[in-house]
Amino acid sequence: MQESDAPVAKPELKELVVEASRALALLDAPRLDELAASCEALNRDLDSMDVGEKKELARQAREATADMSVLARVLEATRANRNVMRRLREMCERRLEYDERMIRGAGEAGAEAGDIDGDD
Amino acid sequence: MGTINSALNLMAGALEADQEALNVVANNVANANTPGYTEEKPDWQQNAPISVGGVLMGDGVTETGATSQRDRVLEERLDQQQQLASASSTRLTALNNMQALFTPDSGTAGSTAGDIGSDITSFFDSFSSLERDPTDNALREQVLTSASTLAGDISSAASSLNGQRDAIDQEASGVVSQVNSLSGAIAQLNLQIMSASPNSDAGTLEDQRQQDLSQLSQLIGINQVTTQNNGLEITTTSGQLLVSEGQSTQLTTGMVNGVTDFFLNGADITSQLTSGGGQLGGYLTARDTDVPNAVASLDQLAYSVSTSVNAQNSSGTDLNGVTGTSANPLDIFKEPAQLAGSAAAMSVVMSDPSGIAAAGAGNGSGDNSNAVAMANLAGEALGAPTTGFSLTENLDSTTPVNGTTAGNIVVYDTRGNTYQATVTYTQQGANTWSYSISLPAAAFASGVSTPVTGTMTFDAAGNLVQIQPSGAANPETVGTAPNDVSSIPLGFAGLADGAADLDMSWNLLGANGTSIVSQTASASVQSAGTQNGFAGNQTPINYYSNFVSTLGATVSEVQTENTAENASVTQLQTQNNALSSVNLNDEAVAMSTLENSYQAASQVFTLLNTVMTSALNLGEETAVA
Repeated sequence: MQESDAPVAKPELKELVVEASRALALLDAPRLDELAASCEALNRDLDSMDVGEKKELARQAREATADMSVLARVLEATRANRNVMRRLREMCERRLEYDERMIRGAGEAGAEAGDIDGDD
Repeated sequence: MGTINSALNLMAGALEADQEALNVVANNVANANTPGYTEEKPDWQQNAPISVGGVLMGDGVTETGATSQRDRVLEERLDQQQQLASASSTRLTALNNMQALFTPDSGTAGSTAGDIGSDITSFFDSFSSLERDPTDNALREQVLTSASTLAGDISSAASSLNGQRDAIDQEASGVVSQVNSLSGAIAQLNLQIMSASPNSDAGTLEDQRQQDLSQLSQLIGINQVTTQNNGLEITTTSGQLLVSEGQSTQLTTGMVNGVTDFFLNGADITSQLTSGGGQLGGYLTARDTDVPNAVASLDQLAYSVSTSVNAQNSSGTDLNGVTGTSANPLDIFKEPAQLAGSAAAMSVVMSDPSGIAAAGAGNGSGDNSNAVAMANLAGEALGAPTTGFSLTENLDSTTPVNGTTAGNIVVYDTRGNTYQATVTYTQQGANTWSYSISLPAAAFASGVSTPVTGTMTFDAAGNLVQIQPSGAANPETVGTAPNDVSSIPLGFAGLADGAADLDMSWNLLGANGTSIVSQTASASVQSAGTQNGFAGNQTPINYYSNFVSTLGATVSEVQTENTAENASVTQLQTQNNALSSVNLNDEAVAMSTLENSYQAASQVFTLLNTVMTSALNLGEETAVA
């Protein structure tokens, strides 16, 4: 099969950063994995870029810096939210353990009381 | 690389801020985790579409079902993030309105603040044109026209900013009735919920309370603490009690220094509410910080341009051969009395273009040396010359005749250069001293310093009662009564740096109207010295450009905060929806999604940062090569 000569539209770095923020806001993990793969590929391609491509990427990097700030802030907010959810889960698990102990304790106390009753 | 580093620094800063928020949540968790604390709670679903890069996210929530009370932790976190997002959103609106004011070509017939940058250039260029033919009346008219345009646009901008501040003040004031209504409703619901708990289901009531809490947290910053029987105590984020179970405390307002202040139990809590978040926090930050900062910048621009241009014009000779003096200056702009309010009051007072002093002092009207000096002000640092100074000083009454003491003050000329002015007092006899005020000889083009001298007389209590400058026919009475003087004028001409003559007032009275130069049997000492000049480090046009850039950077920073906070709200709403049933498996899936997203996003961020850092470095190396 012959490849098309039509140039493939490459997203600007800025679009990639904005998309990462959007996906993170939506907790779209699969999309974030795709973006991570794209970034890895881009990172690998750096060494093989010619002068023109490097200049172009530098321009895109400058234009994307403000959006990187946004991504950094969204990432940090997510980290804080993750901590809240972890605490919520820990709290829930502690209460379940506590309830189980209470039930077990009540059962053992009941059995013990039964024994006493039996002894009587 | 500064911007990427800034982004990383922002992360570090956010880390600390979020840790504080988490501490509050953790504290409340202890209260929430009480026996019998398992009533149903409302569930929420996001309303707004998601978009990053200009469009806000997570705008509002809708109740969709019921979930376990243990999600109170999540709801509190959601409330916290909503109040932050609400504050930044409100502030952003105000900042955008301010920024729109200074956008070039945005002006209407009533406001052309966006043209201030070009106005500054045109005004100083008009002096460059006048250099070519200093007697040309059309060119002189053009100077006054340019001055009027500049003054009008600066004044208009200041008025618009003050108008925006008034509007924000009204909006802030309007929030109070909503806060009071909600806190009252929550107190009533508290009573009903507490009477129902723990023996019966208060789920519907708790739904209502949570709705009210969500609304309240968007209006002001609050903290929540659960009390016995599922009651609730609500404080502002700085700890002032708003609702204690069935009791609510009403916020009140009052006018203080022309703006609305906010009171709780008689205490002014405006500053606490400003930093607390919510709409009110956003309004107050804009009203008390953002708008005043912009007005202060315009004030400095107006003050510096007005005083420097007036001083320079007064030091030259106008078309009628007149040179300005302290008593009769050749002012182009209305001379500002003080820095504050200079922008709003900026106007042109010269109506006759022949008053423009294009010639240097003592030169014929065809000379252009002062027009050159006026044009050169465009390239000089934006400072302001000293027009007044005060020295608080005691003179030892036991000093022998001809004994001396001195006071010092640093003053500024129109070019921002400083000189130490020295006031030397010499004991002449009982209660009488002579004074001599001088600048260093090197300050003058002639290399000779000619001091300004006179005599002062004190009463038995040590108060300065009379002053007589040398050459004056009679002494002046020092005081506040009609015909008394509170200061005397001083002038120093022929400065070596070519700056305009230094015309200053020596202020003799303090704020309470009593003399600040005294004579007692105590040691001679200067206890204070103040003056109103300042040096600038930017030209007028650079100063204005930096002001607009700083405003833009603030808008950008708040936009970033707002986007991140709305993203956080969206995430929390997603999590809350996922926990709509009391099911540990659902919870585990929701948690896993959050963890995976965070991990993947961290990887994306790290890779992007590496790519961008390398790209910028490579780009720079290429450019150098």
